[in-house]
Amino acid sequence: MLWLCIQLPRFALEASAGDACALVPTHRLPDAAPAALKTLALWAMQWSDQVSSQLTADGDAALWLEIGASRRLLGEHAQLRACVAEALTPLGYTHRLGIAPTVQGAALLARAGLTASAVTRAQLLQLLAPLPLALLALPDEQLIALRGTGLRLIGELLALPIASIARRFGPDAALYLQRLRGALPEPLRFVQTPPRFESRCEFADAISETTTLLFPLQRLLAGLQGYLRARDRAVQRYELCLEHHRGALTRLVIGLARPGRDAAQLLALARERLAATVLAAPVHGLRVAADELLQPVLLQNDLFSRAAQHSEQFQQVLDRLAARLGAGAVQALGHTAEHRPERAWHMSAAQLSAPPAAGPEHAALELPRRPCWLLPQPRPIDKPQQLLAGPERIESGWWDGADVARDYYLAREADGAQLWVYQDLRAGGWHVHGIWA
Amino acid sequence: MTFQALQNLSAPLSGLDRDALRARIDHISRHAHADDPPGPAVQPTGFADFDALLPGGGWPLGAITELMPEAQGIGELSLLLPALAKLSRAGRYLMWIAPPCLPYPPALVRHGLVLDRLLLVQAQDARAALWAAEQALRCPAIGAVLAWPAALDDRRVRRLQLAAETGGSCGLLYRPPLAALQPSPAALRLRLKALGPGLQVEIQKARGGRAHALVVHPAAAVRA
Repeated sequence: MLWLCIQLPRFALEASAGDACALVPTHRLPDAAPAALKTLALWAMQWSDQVSSQLTADGDAALWLEIGASRRLLGEHAQLRACVAEALTPLGYTHRLGIAPTVQGAALLARAGLTASAVTRAQLLQLLAPLPLALLALPDEQLIALRGTGLRLIGELLALPIASIARRFGPDAALYLQRLRGALPEPLRFVQTPPRFESRCEFADAISETTTLLFPLQRLLAGLQGYLRARDRAVQRYELCLEHHRGALTRLVIGLARPGRDAAQLLALARERLAATVLAAPVHGLRVAADELLQPVLLQNDLFSRAAQHSEQFQQVLDRLAARLGAGAVQALGHTAEHRPERAWHMSAAQLSAPPAAGPEHAALELPRRPCWLLPQPRPIDKPQQLLAGPERIESGWWDGADVARDYYLAREADGAQLWVYQDLRAGGWHVHGIWA
Repeated sequence: MTFQALQNLSAPLSGLDRDALRARIDHISRHAHADDPPGPAVQPTGFADFDALLPGGGWPLGAITELMPEAQGIGELSLLLPALAKLSRAGRYLMWIAPPCLPYPPALVRHGLVLDRLLLVQAQDARAALWAAEQALRCPAIGAVLAWPAALDDRRVRRLQLAAETGGSCGLLYRPPLAALQPSPAALRLRLKALGPGLQVEIQKARGGRAHALVVHPAAAVRA
């Protein structure tokens, strides 16, 4: 077993902070810290499936990650340590890390602020020996009692026989020291991954700017990313719920065109969506939930071909456009074999398509000549002065009641514009239907 | 060395040899091109006489082109269709941001566009349309971005120009004829006029090329 301990000495305070700048909120929220620690524990599960957390009455917190099993996968522990620290910094939590083969040892090295890691018990004892007794996680009265004996360093205490320690300082102190050096196992309760993801946070000071929501949202989405990585799943949509006063809610569903789990991507989509959202009322809390967990389609690690990378980037653009402009904002066009010009096309929601098959080019030439622009509705006009080509008679649709009988012409305007016009054969009136742009 | 490589190609090769050979040919061809001055990346317009007047010989890629037609319906869109058709056939996407009318599929298919690759973006207002154009221009999977901004200042065009440089795609902006009076950081600026049955294209500005050249396209070629 090898443990990475993350000490969070200002956790309760930082967890209640609504934004990165206001690290000291006006008051602490009693519920903020446990919820935030739950989210952070899920975040940590991307590196280890054995994560344990602890929150003290003083408001500091700690997470332990068992990294012995995953160490080989992730590279050396020094790399992992740097990786965890780097991921933790933008979340705005003050932190210190320690790595040791025992839970208490890792916590103590983190408290001591040592950058060196202990991989074996011998290394741990060596690192602990010169440290002051005050770093031990023992009640104050026992620390005072220890100091009274004239001992100063942890190494001096650990050199004493355990029976004499138990006799002089009590069984609890002896048990702690045995666990610290790895002579006795540490009972831990591990965080379980729930079947669905839900994480929330509350703010001490209500937020009325959507941009200010991004910082706390980033923490929640970091939790979602860790959760999804731990379960090797991805999401195609997640729910972002803004909580207002008296239980009022604003629900936003953030959709991805393709399953993903990258927190930065999930946040970027939410940012676009929030930018287009007008807050009805100040926000007191945020909730992120994801129900439908899917197989991840493209992992970041498979450094895929350029084409796949392009399609991934394209997908992200589609997602961003949909998030900001609305789900139906991006549309694809289709061609329908139909004589009536207004029915010779259709529109559908855009989606990624396979590379086009190289169809026969001559097939296109069999189509009649048509203008590039079609007007949404034919517009009545006077009889055009100059007709360049035509007529092309279109009579169709008697079977569905929307029948037409028209003669189409190419007309030229005084300014050189060429229009696609028709004369209605029944009513006799003239209309513009398209523009030869 | 290239000759040797070619000779080797005729002999039966194991997979390993073939890979090694391919790597070597790649190396040789890279080396051969390393000394050439890098020309601007372009997409040929499909009109040989027009290409001849453009720096690099086509629509500039990774840059903004401004088209300023005097009227709607003079062939201003047909001028783009051969290039757009090529891009779409190569699998690149074409993003049309808030076009003024419906791009009519029967005409586009006739011009050889692959409809799968054409996407329409509907935007609530001019600001959203510009934002969407900028997003699309940054994406390398998108071959061309077409937009019809009503009003545009220098700063905005420069932003779009930067976005196009990032994505390497062809940014095509339709602007009103009056825009020709203002300077613009766009790489290529064209004034379009109906001339008899054809389209007169005046190159007002071409980065790295000649300005004020004139070319006339017969309508038959452009709008067939």
